[in-house]
Order: sequence, then structure tokens, then C-alpha cells
Amino acid sequence: MLDESIQELASRCLARIAAAGSPEALEAVRVDAVGRKGALAEISKGMGKLTPEERKRIGQVLNAAKQQLEAALDARKQEFGDAALRARLDAEWVDLTLPAPGPRRGHLHPITRIQRELEDLFVSLGFTVLDGPEVETEYYNFDALNMPPDHPARDMQDTFWLDGGNLLRTHTSPVQVRGMEHLGPPLRMIAPGRVFRNESVDASHEHTFYQLEGMMIDRDVSVAHLLYFMKTLLTAIFQRDVTVRLRPGYFPFVEPGFELDIRCLICGGPGCPVCKHSGWVELLPCGLVNPNVLRISGIDPEKWGGFAFGLGLTRLVMMRYGIDDIRHLQGGDLRFLEQF
Amino acid sequence: MVPGLTETAGPLERLITMKTAECEGIEETGALLAEACVARVESVEPIPGSHNVKAVVDAGPLGMKTVVCGAPNCRPGLLTAYVPLDKKVVQGVESDGMLASGAELGINRDHAGIVELGSLEGCAPDAAIEIDNKSITHRPDLWGHHGMAREVAAILGLELTDPARLDLLPQGPAAVTVRIEDFDLCPRYSALVFENVTVQPSPLWLQYRLTAIGLNPINNIVDMTNFVMAELAQPMHAFDADLLHGDTIFIRAAKPGEAFRALNGESYTLEASHLVIADSAGAIALAGVIGGGDSAISEKTTRVVLESANFQASSVRKTSSSLKLRTDASMRFEKAQDPVNTVRGLARAVELLREISPGIRLVGGLADEMREMTAPPAIELSLEWLERKMGRATEPSEVRRILRSLAFGVSEAQPGVFSVTVPSWRATKDVDIKDDLVEEVGRMVGYDSITPRAPLLPAAVPPGNAARRFQHDVRNLFVDNGFTEVYNYSFLSEEAARAFGLDPAAHIRVTNPIASNQELMRASLLPGIWKNITGNARHRESFRLFEIGLEIHRREQGLPEEIPHLVAALYDRQDGGIFELKRVAECLLPGARTVPAEARDYEHAARAAEIHWKGAVVGRLFELHPRMVDTGRAAILDLDLRLIESLSGERTKYTPIRRYPSSAFDLSVIAPLREQAGKLEGAIAGFAGPLLEAIQFVRQYSGPPLVEGTKSVSFRLTVGSPERTLSSEEIAAIRTTIIERMRDLGYELRV
Ligand SMILES: [Zn+2]
Repeated sequence: MLDESIQELASRCLARIAAAGSPEALEAVRVDAVGRKGALAEISKGMGKLTPEERKRIGQVLNAAKQQLEAALDARKQEFGDAALRARLDAEWVDLTLPAPGPRRGHLHPITRIQRELEDLFVSLGFTVLDGPEVETEYYNFDALNMPPDHPARDMQDTFWLDGGNLLRTHTSPVQVRGMEHLGPPLRMIAPGRVFRNESVDASHEHTFYQLEGMMIDRDVSVAHLLYFMKTLLTAIFQRDVTVRLRPGYFPFVEPGFELDIRCLICGGPGCPVCKHSGWVELLPCGLVNPNVLRISGIDPEKWGGFAFGLGLTRLVMMRYGIDDIRHLQGGDLRFLEQF
Repeated sequence: MVPGLTETAGPLERLITMKTAECEGIEETGALLAEACVARVESVEPIPGSHNVKAVVDAGPLGMKTVVCGAPNCRPGLLTAYVPLDKKVVQGVESDGMLASGAELGINRDHAGIVELGSLEGCAPDAAIEIDNKSITHRPDLWGHHGMAREVAAILGLELTDPARLDLLPQGPAAVTVRIEDFDLCPRYSALVFENVTVQPSPLWLQYRLTAIGLNPINNIVDMTNFVMAELAQPMHAFDADLLHGDTIFIRAAKPGEAFRALNGESYTLEASHLVIADSAGAIALAGVIGGGDSAISEKTTRVVLESANFQASSVRKTSSSLKLRTDASMRFEKAQDPVNTVRGLARAVELLREISPGIRLVGGLADEMREMTAPPAIELSLEWLERKMGRATEPSEVRRILRSLAFGVSEAQPGVFSVTVPSWRATKDVDIKDDLVEEVGRMVGYDSITPRAPLLPAAVPPGNAARRFQHDVRNLFVDNGFTEVYNYSFLSEEAARAFGLDPAAHIRVTNPIASNQELMRASLLPGIWKNITGNARHRESFRLFEIGLEIHRREQGLPEEIPHLVAALYDRQDGGIFELKRVAECLLPGARTVPAEARDYEHAARAAEIHWKGAVVGRLFELHPRMVDTGRAAILDLDLRLIESLSGERTKYTPIRRYPSSAFDLSVIAPLREQAGKLEGAIAGFAGPLLEAIQFVRQYSGPPLVEGTKSVSFRLTVGSPERTLSSEEIAAIRTTIIERMRDLGYELRV
């Protein structure tokens, strides 16, 4: 008898649980069924009249029913929770094609980019990066580089002179001398920077441009070593194997002096307009450091030797990106600068 | 000069480029001369209605030809040049070939009429290889064809012949006396006197050769001097002897203010630093630069003084640059020519003059004044040194062969060590140390025979460059925050300097600027950035840019001060971006304070501040004055990177995380609208005492129910102790103290 009413109660409650339309309705069912004053509690109150055996058995029946109902309640509650979460997630739809707020990333100047690449490369090869002043003395720009006053080579470099007798450096080579003076041998250094020549500006000429000077001083430095570093440098710059050649070139601060050409990257050798149909493109001047320059900087040329080179960063940037007008580089036009 | 030469211009140009000097190209000359022949005009008939004539010519081996010719000098009996071309009909007359002018043939620049000639001997198609002047600055000998011929002979292993025959120089006392005042300035002066001179056009072979190298034929005497200069690199000058005063030639410093009329028709006022050639009446030539107009060769000339001298390179260079007068002679002398060469030039001249001025006679012997010339010391060259420098070994026999082919004297002083003497034409400035010989051998064996090799070097971390690394970090920060890097020129105009309150007189000035608006060295990056702002504002509504560059400031003496600065700008057509710029500045300068400052003329009067960091004023943050940028608002940050870098780089020290919880509470201060929140924050922080961990601005508010003209500024304070948890009484005490003290200062607090 009692068993039956428990069974009946349980199945009634299960039906109400299944029918509950909201978490609140479910809670009402829980209070009615398994709450402290709920139906099952009522039944257990009346168990005092039963025999101990009977009480034990009915107790088990009640317990089973309670567990059954509680599991059903939990499952139903979970369903409500899941539905609510699904609804929330759905409500939180956003249009991810909209642009992110805040500024876009800016752009480094193309010369900065290539200069950094080369700085990193040379630092990895054990070179130190040196700076020198843009306003130089005649001594560092010319005399100490084996170009005394009235040396005809001075004519090659149209110089901006400043009041007070100083000048704007016409090349980064003065930093060689400063480097030798400050650090002494052995020495491996590069010096990227801004240089000036008194030239009228047009699409291919600038009065302000950028060079990277390099120098190595050690016990035995040969043309073979110079060639090795130049090949390493140029392979890194052009990200492909390059063929180089040295031919005589005259620069007072090196002896012997070279012009370094690379095999034309456009035609590969047979000739094209870029290489003026020669198959070669003149890229950088270099050479073994003139012993006079070493001596002027306090280094004994019998014990030490070195090589030096000067790379035109501006020209390199123009070659790499195919820039046809040098004036863009210092024009400050974002439509140009944002391309890099 | 190289009799065995068979190479054509193309391969020769490549060889010269690889082993001697850079070539700039090949100019083919005299193409028409391939088929031209001497022809005699037999008859001339006018063509009605035309200035052209129909001429019948006897073209020798080619037979009789009928041609149409427009030259005014086309007349019967004339010997001229005939060039066979395809027949064509001109004005109804069939023209079989053409009669050519000197210019058409490439012999000279005369195109007024057809060439009048005796013979075309020595005129054939040829090629001129152009050499880049800059690549032979150090080689006085290569400024003459004979020097280049020596190179070619050495490259190809051929024999070289010398065009100068010294046995042609006359013996006996000279007809002129030479007086050299300063042998440093004029190490040697040689001269010859000629009489019975005929001044006339040069033979065509001579005209052709001069024209091919870009010189203008003038007359036989002048052409001869130019020819010798081009051949032997020895500039020469011919004076009309009858126009000179006295028979002594002085080489002396010009008298200050001395007047000189040059061959080019210009008059110059000379200074004592100029060296002149003078007769007893005055200057007759500017030494090594140009001859005088008053003693120039003319058709009337019958007697000639021929000068072949040597002048100090730097003196010639100074004279030529101070008078802005560069000539073929001065270009050669400033490369330090060989004093031995003066008499070689004269010897060659004697030979040529006999051919081109028939009947010419020498008067007297050679005048030749010179300083005692000493042979330069021999250079020791060891094979070991050569290998060390080149990075490859060279056979001793190869070294010997190469040096000798270039006219060096070579003897093997001891095994593996050569004693090398330098030819006079390489000894003036070019070759004096063993490294110069490394070059001679290296270029001739060919640098392509050297294999690249990595040096053996100790692995070592190179010394760092902290300043440069710091600048790269700053660049990254600004780029990451949306700023694009610009590069501006280092030059400023006076006007741009003034626009930013800078005194033009305080700037370093370029004495030879490209243009008058680029005559000052920038003492600020602001004018450049301003230009970038106004320029880009034409295309963009909003942008961010920055530059890192050097400010250049005059110093009392020595080099100027070069201070790296960063200038960043944030432009927007509508909104001011000054707080965004402040945020980015604080990324670089954590804990920096922005302290309102009196605005400068170009700054927005109410939006200008100094940036204080670690006890120093490191820069400025402001909005540009609306008058400077009328299309929108531009916020600008200007930082002294040198100062900032010097203050950076402190080691961070760890402090243990507090074990006892902190507490936070808010306070709102009522203050006048323009009271600075930073000031209030400072005051509160001061009153909070040592237990204050942090104070943070929360918000500010103005409007009802606050009294008009006031605002409420709220801060969150965090207090705590490393030793214990603060009691609520302690926290309340701190709060009360702050409130009371702020009230003492006249501020009401909303609690
Ligand atoms: Zn090519």
C-alpha cells in the first residue's frame, strides 16, 4: 500500500519535472517533492507506526525514490543551464569583419630597415657598430684619409663647407679613423650614417644620402679576406648567391683600391639596360687600408693590416625596392613611406 | 706605340677596365673614312632653282662620279674627299655618292664646306676609348696616350715603342734665358726657339686625331702642342717670340693686383699665390694653366718660343681653382707630372714641327733650368708580404715580368725579396711604398685569381653601441604604436628657423649652400616635421609620423654638438591627439610627469607642457598653434634622446610580494575647473603618509549638482603595510588626515 503511493508520488513528480518550463517551476517541484516539508518527507513522518522490518524496507524504497527524483531534478537543471548559456552565446554575436580599433602599425623608413639588417649581419660576424659626427673636421674627412689639402681626389667629393671651417662629412670614412683612434687594433667595425655632397637634386642625385662604412684591422688581412666578407655581405643583402669581381679603383685611403662589381642580377651576365650591357653592376668601392692611414691613426702598418669598404645604402634601397626617384626617401610623403 | 696590337676596341676596353682604369665607353670615329678617297672636282654645273650644284669628280680608283653637292667651295680643280653611297635622286639629278666636309668625316669640326685636302693619309676609321678621369687621378702618366700604351703593352705582353727621340734636341747655348724664382713651384722649365715658322692649318691626320679626342684643331703650332700634351701628358705652350719683351723668361710669383689677359679673352687680376711666366714687361702666361693673349700664335707669327715645363701640382690646382679656370694643362699638372718629361715633349715637338711647318729652323740650343733631381729610393718588396696582402702566392718570375713590363727596375736583393726602382713618371706621387707594388702585381695577375677565404678570428662579442640600440628600441615603440618614420634634410631656411622661434644667427651656416633656403644646419627637427604635417594633411585626414635625427648646435669652438632627438606628430582633422601622444611617451618614459609650461609662439597657448622624467626635463609635448596648421590639430612630442638614454638602463631590483593584504578607498576632491589633477594627486599623496602604496586617478566630473566652475576629481588610494594587515581604524585615520589637510588647503571633499 505504502509502496504503491510512493511509486505513484515518484512518477507524478517525474512528470512535473519533465514539464517544468523554467528554473523557477523546477524549484517549486523540488520543494514539493524532496524539500524538507515535501511529499517524501511527509511520508517518512508516518513511518513511526511501522514495524522495524517494514520501516527499514520502506526507508530504502523512499531513499531510492528520492535519489531518482534528485537525479532528474539535476539533469533538468543542467538542461536549463545549458540552454541559458547557449542563448547568451548566441546573443553575444559580433561582426568580426569589423576593423579593430586603435592605430595600425607604423612603418620604418626603408633605409632604417636595410641599415638594421646590415647592422645585425655584421654584429653576428663580430663587428661593432660605430657612430661619427655628421659635421666633421677637414682633418677627419680628408687629411687623415690620405687626402692632404690640394689633393686632387678632394675634387671628386663636392663638399659642403660650414662657417668656422668645418664641413659636412662627404663619406662615412672618417669613422674609420675615429674607430682606429678609440678602439685600436684588432678592430672590426661598421659605421652607417648620413653623408652630404654638394650636388643638385634630381631623380637620381641627392645632396643627402646614406652609406655604410666597414673596416677590419688585424694581423694578416688580405684581398682574399676582403672578398670573403664582401661575398657574405652581398649574399645576405640580395638573398641569393652573387658573383663578384674586383677591378682597380683609386681611393686615397686604400692601397690597393678596388671597385667591386656584381654580376647583373637582372640579366645574369649577357647584358641589359640596367648593367649598361656590360653584364656587371658597380656596387661598392673597397680596398686594403693604406698604410699611411694606419700610421696617421697610430697603428703600425708593418704589424697590422686591414680592409675597408663603403656601401651606398641609398643606392641599395633603391635597387632592392625598385625606387625610381631618390627624392622620395627624404620627401616625408606617407603614401611612399607606408609601402615599406 | 704598341706595334703588335691586334685587339679591337671592345676587348681592349674590357682589359683596361679590369687591369688599369675604368672605361666609360667607346666612341667610333671616322666611319665614313673606311670608303672615302681623294677626288678631284672636274666640272661644276648649277642646278636650276637650287643652291646645290651638280659636280663631276674624278674619284681615282672608283672612277668618274656625278654627285649633287651643296657646299659653297665646290669648284673645279678642288681636291676633296669622295664617299661612295647608294645612288639617290636629288632635285632631279642622280647623285652617286657624296663629297664630304671635315665634320662629316670626323676629321675636324668644319662643316662650312667640303674638305679641301692634299691626302687622306693617316685618316681611317678608329675608335676612342673614354677613360673615367676619376680613376686616373693618381696616375699622371695615364693623362697621355703613351702612358696608356705602356699599360696595354704590359697587359698583352707586347713591345712598347717610344715616340720621343731625345737625339733630336739641339746642342749649344740657348737663345732664351730662363730664370726660375722658386724651384719648389717650378721644378723644371725647358724651352726651344724656332724661326721661319709657317702658321697654317694642320695636316688632316693631325686634325683628325685631335678631333677624335675632343680637341678643336686651331693651327699647326697650337695643334702640335696639344698633340704632344695628349700623347706624352706634357702640356706645352707656344709664344710668338716677336711679341715677347727681352730674351729672358721669368718664372715668378705674380705681383698682387697684376693684370693678365689670357688666351680665352678673359682678363684676370692676379695674387701673389699665382705663379706666372713673364717677360721683362709682365706676365705672358699663367703657369701650368693658360697662355697669354698678347703673345699668342697668329698667322703673322714667324718665330716661336716653345715652353715645356713642370709645375708644382698643388700650386697649379690652387691657381686654377681660385680663378675658376680648369684647362687641359692644369688638369694634368695637378696630378703631379714628371719633370723628366719636359725635354721629351720638346724632342717630340721638333720632330712634328719639321713635318707640319716645312722650312722651320731651330735657333740655338735647349734652354733647360731645373732643380737637381734625385732618384727615389728603391722599394723593398718581399714575396711573403705580397702573398700576405693578396691572399695568394705569386711566382717570383711572374712578379719580375710584371714589374719590368711597367718599367720598374727589379733586382732580387736576397732570395724572395726584390729591390724595385720606380720609373720617374710613377715616382711623383703615385708609387712610393711596397703596397703600391702589391697593386701593380695584383691588377696584372688579375684579382679574379684570388679565392675568397674566411679569416681565422677569435670568437668574441663585439663592443655594443648602447645609444644606437636605444634609438632602434624607440623606433620600434613608435612604429608599434602606429607612427611612420620619416627622414628630413639637415638643412633649414632662415624663415623656417624663425617660424620656430630660433635665431638664424645662432645656427651653423653652410657657406656654399645648394639654395638659399638650405643654408642653416637644423638646430631643431620641428620645422621638418611641420613640413611633413602640412604636406601629408593634403592627402590624409589623420596620421602619425616621427623622425629620429640630430639637432646640430653651435659650440664656442671645435665641432658642434649633435644631439639625437625624437619628434613625433599625431595629426587629425578633428580631434586632438595629445593624450594619445602622452600615452606613447609614457610607454617610453614610465613614471614621466607632464608639467604644463608657458607656451612658445608656435605652440597652442593652452596646450603645452614639459616632460619631466627622473628629475630632468627631457622634452616637450604640445599642440601646434592653429595658425601653423589650419586644417586640423597636430600634437607634437619632442624628446632629447641623448638625455633619456643617459637616464635609462637602471637595473631593476626585485621587492618581495607583500604578504599582507592592502586596502583601497576612493576620495573625490572638489576643485576649480582649471585646477590640475596632477597637483591634487601630489598633495593627496603627500598627506597619505608612508603607508600609501599607490594613488590613481579614477575620473573627473563637472555639472549638477556641483557648483558651476568647479569639478570633482576622484582618486583611488591603496594603503598597506609590509608587516601587518592594517586595521580599519588605521585606514580611517589616514583618510581623515587627508580630508582634513585638504580642507586646510581650501578643498572640499565629497564623501
Ligand atoms: Zn644586365
